[in-house]
Amino acid sequence: MQENSYYVTKKRMVALMLASVFLFFLIFCRLFYIQILWGKNLQTKASDQWTRDLNLSAMRGDIVDKNGEILATSCTVFNVYARPNAVVDKESTAKVLAEALSLDYQSVVQKVNKKGVSEVLIARKVPTLLANELKEKDLDGIYFAEESLRQYPLGDFLTQVLGYVSVDGVGQTGIEAYYDKYLQGIDGRLLTQTDLVGKELDGVQYYLPSQKGLTIKLTVDSKIQMMVENVLDLAMYQYSPKKAECIVLDVTNGSVLAMSSKPSFDLNNIPRDDLESLTDYSKNVLVTDIYEPGSTFKIVTAAACLEESLNGGGFDENYVFKNNSRTRVVDGTKINCWSTHANGKHANQKLSDALNNSCNPIFTDIALNLGKETFYRYLEAFGFGSKTNLDFQGEQSGILIDKSMVKNADLARIGFGQSVTVTPLQLCMATASSVNGGILYQPRLVESIVDNVTGVTLTNPVVVKNRTISEVTSQKLATMLEGVVTNGSGKQAYIEGYKIGGKTGTAQKFENGALAQGKYVSSFIGFFPVNSPKYLVLMLVDEPVGQNYGSVVAAPYAKMVIQGIIDLYDVAPVE
Amino acid sequence: MKKFAKISQIDDNLLFFVTIALVLIGLLFVYSASCYTAELETGNKFYYLIKQSTGALLGIVAMVTASLFDVNILKKFHLPLAILSALLLGLVFIPGVGISKYGATRWIGFGGFSFQPSEICKFALVLVGAHSLTQENAKPFFKYAKVLLFGLTYCVLIILEPNMSVTVCVGLLMVALLFLGGMKIKTFLLILLPFVVVLPLMIVLEPYRMLRLMAFLDPWASPKNEGYQLIQSLYALGSGGLFGVGIFQGRQKYRFLPFAESDFVFSVIGEETGLLGCLTLFLLFGLYVYCGVKIALNAKDKFSCILAGGITSVVAIQSLINFAVVTGSIPPTGLPLPFISYGGTSLVVFMTATGVLLSISRANKKQGFGIS
Repeated sequence: MQENSYYVTKKRMVALMLASVFLFFLIFCRLFYIQILWGKNLQTKASDQWTRDLNLSAMRGDIVDKNGEILATSCTVFNVYARPNAVVDKESTAKVLAEALSLDYQSVVQKVNKKGVSEVLIARKVPTLLANELKEKDLDGIYFAEESLRQYPLGDFLTQVLGYVSVDGVGQTGIEAYYDKYLQGIDGRLLTQTDLVGKELDGVQYYLPSQKGLTIKLTVDSKIQMMVENVLDLAMYQYSPKKAECIVLDVTNGSVLAMSSKPSFDLNNIPRDDLESLTDYSKNVLVTDIYEPGSTFKIVTAAACLEESLNGGGFDENYVFKNNSRTRVVDGTKINCWSTHANGKHANQKLSDALNNSCNPIFTDIALNLGKETFYRYLEAFGFGSKTNLDFQGEQSGILIDKSMVKNADLARIGFGQSVTVTPLQLCMATASSVNGGILYQPRLVESIVDNVTGVTLTNPVVVKNRTISEVTSQKLATMLEGVVTNGSGKQAYIEGYKIGGKTGTAQKFENGALAQGKYVSSFIGFFPVNSPKYLVLMLVDEPVGQNYGSVVAAPYAKMVIQGIIDLYDVAPVE
Repeated sequence: MKKFAKISQIDDNLLFFVTIALVLIGLLFVYSASCYTAELETGNKFYYLIKQSTGALLGIVAMVTASLFDVNILKKFHLPLAILSALLLGLVFIPGVGISKYGATRWIGFGGFSFQPSEICKFALVLVGAHSLTQENAKPFFKYAKVLLFGLTYCVLIILEPNMSVTVCVGLLMVALLFLGGMKIKTFLLILLPFVVVLPLMIVLEPYRMLRLMAFLDPWASPKNEGYQLIQSLYALGSGGLFGVGIFQGRQKYRFLPFAESDFVFSVIGEETGLLGCLTLFLLFGLYVYCGVKIALNAKDKFSCILAGGITSVVAIQSLINFAVVTGSIPPTGLPLPFISYGGTSLVVFMTATGVLLSISRANKKQGFGIS
């Protein structure tokens, strides 16, 4: 009996042992699954909690002018953080911080005692010098995160073109917005090994430095720009217009040398709380707004007329327009010349005379003579009705009445710059093409993007869009436009010893679909040297008070700009 | 017969060395797991190591001493020891004596010393089993009644602390003893039935147990609360991979893993030594069980046999539960790993029990007896 029960015990003991071995094996299988098959995944999740990840924001790239002068740059400032759990002596730490950063002691004490947060911001944008002083004090649990602060050394300068950035350093308008991805740079990281509550562990850090953004090199020449801005300020002062605007273009490649509109503001002191003026003043109206160009548009009509004369249409430079009346009636609408045509004025004009006199009836004749098909072919070739594709945000394309809808009365008005709206830049590009030998360029504000670390440069190439007119026609037209400045309405822009071409314009403004009484845009578009055009200047004075003729208001300012360029670059007078 | 004695001799030494190896591994990882928190809490990173080493030295003395005594002396003490255990378990509930930590009252303390009476009751139950189950003349009912009486008393007292894991541990031990004692399978299953019913009921009735159960099934459902401990344990094991991140190189012990030096020391071992280290530990525990069972099978009488089998069962049950918890195989519950986890009482008691095993083994050598 005893032997038998003892035998049962031993048998069962072996069974228990085998059972436990089996269980050990099962758990080992589970362990194999966790450590080998699931391991990588678990480790990735685990590593998230082992480190505190501090973002090191990249320094934003510079914007420089064509000569390398810095227009927008970033300096390093520091955001000061505390990790409350790691701050050992809360009171004395708070005291040091409050004193150094001129903060309220009580609020700093509250911050370093804050529960349930891993980090708390103590101060923003602390200058490097001050931050370094604090760093030397080696306070436990206080951390410094680099950040770049945007600065514009020239202040109220090239405001609308440069644009500005948000508080977080993201480009909002202008070049800052358009080239934001290049300017941004690549953020760095500081990974710190910590324990559960964020206490730093010794010696184990991973530092990935941030990479500064690329440098954007503009085509803008800040010397010319500076002068343009001064001239515009003068215009603002003398005529109290709504706006005064100017573009200076290199007609040989479509590069924008200066682009400004007033009023503007200091980019270092953005009126963020006055949204209306901020929106109005930061708009680059030369690109984003449209207007009826008026007489300056006659250059285009003249170009089409001359070029077409080579094909047997239009009128050549020797043709004498017979109709000396100051009035034309097209489809029942009357079109008058600004002049009375009395006492032989505006009589027996050639094309050059018509330009000099800015005689509307002649350009009506030309437009109607060319006809819808031909004239529109030229208008489209000059880029009207479509964007210039400037590297800038919010460009408008202007309004060219749809060809299928256009009536003769419209066509006639387009001939002298009405019933058509353009952006000032569009007019510049078309005029440049009229006088530079017939090439329509795509305008550009950026010359290249430069990586200062590697020296790699990405060039924004000069783009030829199409040919508008022949070289011969272009030369003829340039000479005619020289006459406008020498003898015609553009006399106010004449400079002794220099060959300058140009055309004035006085356009009536439309408001809410009706002509606005007494509101004009006075303009002058000029270029020089006539024999080999290089610079083009468009001067616009929007709603000047007192005077309104482009010849009186705008031409003198354009002359100042041209004179300035001559002085800056010692352009030699023609013998 | 002589050849058999020789094998027995080897087993004898083997058990001793396996035990020492386990204790040393324990010291190593108690230090590794606790050095960071010890430094923070006490300013001395060796704090836990020193305490555990003291336990280990006491344990060696106790083990060697126990191995020198004849186990038959224990027969006389079975009843006093069993009653004393019950009393100590009761003492836990007396305010001023019982110490509460983490929402449970499991410790009694005097002076600077504290221990869990439940550590002792497991072995008291083994002794009761070894004694009463070998009373061949007694009616089967009385044979098993004593084991059931003390086993259930302990279980009730421990569940009141509350301490689910030790309750399960003592319950399983009781079942194992009844099984070893030769209870008829039918009767055995009949007794088992209430446990199968009561255990799920206890889980459903205590909200915190239910939450823990859910946490075990999907710890990421509540990563900050119920699931936290298990997730941290899995992170540790998963980071270990095959070879581990290296001894002392683990990251989870930096306060991420709660109870890293006690209940979850195996996680740290898994992280720092990988699957291979875990396998080594499994083999050591396997060897311990093998030696224990071998000694039981070679025992010169049934008392020694069940005593040896019972002690081995305690080690096997407790280590298996701990491994299962740490690997997320069963709902998480706090139970130290024998010989390894931090805890002086536990270490001394387990080493003393191992001494008893060695004593039985020594007796076997003198008088060859058993099956081969």
